[in-house]
Amino acid sequence: MTESHSKHILSIMVDNEPGVLARIVGLFSGRGYNIESLSVSEVDSDKFLSRVTVVTSGTKNIIDQIKAQVRKLIPVHNLIDITELKSFIGKELILMKLDIKQKTVQEVHKHIENIGAKILFEDKTTTIIEFSGTPTEISGLIKKMKVYNIIELTRSGLVSMALGKDYIRR
Amino acid sequence: MMKKLSGARIVIEALIQENVKVIFGYPGGAVLPIYDELFKQNKIRHILVRHEQAAVHAAEGYARSTGKVGVVLVTSGPGATNTVTGLTDAMMDSVPVVCISGQVPTHMIGNDAFQEADIVGITRPCTKHNYLVKEISKLAESIHSAFHIAKNGRPGPVLVDIPKDIQTFETKYGGKKHTKSFAFYKPNTKPSRDTIFEFVNLLEKSKKPIFYVGGGVINSGSRASIYLKKLLKITGFPCTQTLMGLGATPTSDDQFIGMLGMHGTYEANLSMNKSDLMICIGARFDDRITGKVSGFSPKSKKVHLDIDASSFNKSVNVDLLIQGDLSKILEMTLKYIENKRISFSKEKISAWWIQINKWRAKNCLNYKNSRSIIKPQYALQRLDFLTKHLDPFITTEVGQHQMWAAQFLTFNKPKHWMTSGGLGTMGYGLPAAMGVQIAHPKDLVIDVAGEASILMNIQEMSTIKQYRLPVKIFILNNHYMGMVRQWQELLHGNRLSESYMDSLPDFVKLAESFGATGLRVSKPGEMDDLIKEMIKIKGPVICDVVVDPKENCFPMIPSGSTHDQMLLGPNDKLEGEISEEGMVLV
Repeated sequence: MTESHSKHILSIMVDNEPGVLARIVGLFSGRGYNIESLSVSEVDSDKFLSRVTVVTSGTKNIIDQIKAQVRKLIPVHNLIDITELKSFIGKELILMKLDIKQKTVQEVHKHIENIGAKILFEDKTTTIIEFSGTPTEISGLIKKMKVYNIIELTRSGLVSMALGKDYIRR
Repeated sequence: MMKKLSGARIVIEALIQENVKVIFGYPGGAVLPIYDELFKQNKIRHILVRHEQAAVHAAEGYARSTGKVGVVLVTSGPGATNTVTGLTDAMMDSVPVVCISGQVPTHMIGNDAFQEADIVGITRPCTKHNYLVKEISKLAESIHSAFHIAKNGRPGPVLVDIPKDIQTFETKYGGKKHTKSFAFYKPNTKPSRDTIFEFVNLLEKSKKPIFYVGGGVINSGSRASIYLKKLLKITGFPCTQTLMGLGATPTSDDQFIGMLGMHGTYEANLSMNKSDLMICIGARFDDRITGKVSGFSPKSKKVHLDIDASSFNKSVNVDLLIQGDLSKILEMTLKYIENKRISFSKEKISAWWIQINKWRAKNCLNYKNSRSIIKPQYALQRLDFLTKHLDPFITTEVGQHQMWAAQFLTFNKPKHWMTSGGLGTMGYGLPAAMGVQIAHPKDLVIDVAGEASILMNIQEMSTIKQYRLPVKIFILNNHYMGMVRQWQELLHGNRLSESYMDSLPDFVKLAESFGATGLRVSKPGEMDDLIKEMIKIKGPVICDVVVDPKENCFPMIPSGSTHDQMLLGPNDKLEGEISEEGMVLV
């Protein structure tokens, strides 16, 4: 089988109830689907709705199967495949803690400024920066910053939204 | 003014509102308040099983033979974990079951308390949905939602886990009508009109059509069966049924060409293979049906009618899919045909029928009968001949006997055939037969069993005794796990590793020890008398039918092969070795 694999961003509106994430994640692992990135948070506190963004990949058949299976979960209200809409944006947030030697401080500051990242915290030896961007931009940032000593980093996972009139209904 | 009721009482009241007449269960510490409420009422009958797995299978038998939801009540921990096989079975075969389990009190959850198990976590993948009720205010809606989910759309099992403190707390309950349902679950049941036009168009054009009918038709209800029967008559097309679909339309019908799949008939499998139009109705292109997918019916256009969107294009890509309730799809199809005055020419498909009848003439279910030893096929042929006028309900265990039963028995009505198809659960048949018998106390219920499978839930003889259930157990005793041995012969150099059944009980004495009648037969000439006596006896019977230990089940499509590569009998040799790809398949 040489059918091509492609990446898909699925946006899923779910009841924010205990176990709902386990249902989605369990479905993916139980059926052998791949999760490349996952992000979830409540978006409507009146209706107790959470929005889950899953980045996955597979052949067209697999992606169709994933969507059909996720839609079958009872707490799932709606699912849209953002990748299949006309246009969309996808952003991720990264926090990065750097170990900075005093002599490189200025160089690093300049670098951070050029990139458009923000300094959230700084003390004598460490700096925490924040940056949001596309996954490619974030990976680029990590690559560049490797020359300084990265102590730790964390990424939020992708969140995504369609442009224009397309949107996920509740 | 609504009165305040305890959680346990609300459970019982909600079950009454759902029109539940029978529940299958086993008490324990964490459900005692519910059992106490059960004691105080007389609208719901409780059947005490001897193992919780059997409670679920009994509920499945009840559900499948009536079309209602089967209900199970068990305690926490081991009571709940014992239901897992049953729930998975119900999930795989789309059986509506609601399982209520007790749980340790809410403040103990997560503490590894006595008889605590995270049953909601454990059963998440093997239920259609499940609830852990953490607040008394959500109890009634959880139970009503469970019933709603279990029976709507593609049916399945739903578990409701109720901590013991919730069972004792009090709240107001105003009945189902006054309980808002929080289940956001409205499956699409109405097909789109355009697809119906397209469907009929394909039916009109086809020269080599075949209806491939599954259990979805039975689940959709008796109307679906009636409409399908009509559609078969109008079109004159041949029809094959899956293991789950047997009886969806009468299998004695001339257009029925046998079950398909791994142990299906030659004519059914070849018709699938050579057809130009395959109409799949409520089936799911399971691996037992398709064989090697890349060689599955290569030249046909495929239409798939189903309520479950996740069944579409899962293993086989189809050309036209119609989502909806099968009764509605078939009704709309018939109406369209009628309104447009479309008639189907029998001439167009006459060459196809000539071909099919040639395949039929091969008489693929033929076997070499014996005068000295009972062939299992013969035993079932006689059973069929002597009981079919009674329209018996048949359940089975899993293995060779199950396939022979599917091949040799007649199923003229839906909901009369209960077998574990998807999961293949040995030990299913006996408890399922109990559930069927409870629902149909006056009817003949037969569990066609193997001597290995029957031992997996043999403790239920005690339940059968207690409730005087006149279940007939028809054991085809070949002293082997026959299907395991058949595969070992075929694929593992005849090394019969652990498939011989040693130290079997004396089934006649076993029957007697539970107050049932035990009958044994080992000569073909005595077969008819045994069956007649079995029918005559009013109580439960175990028939120990000692059959040829070496008989194998044919036809057979070896794993990894296609429909046109069938083995028709013991003398049919495999063409070359079974591929490595085929060897790893189950």
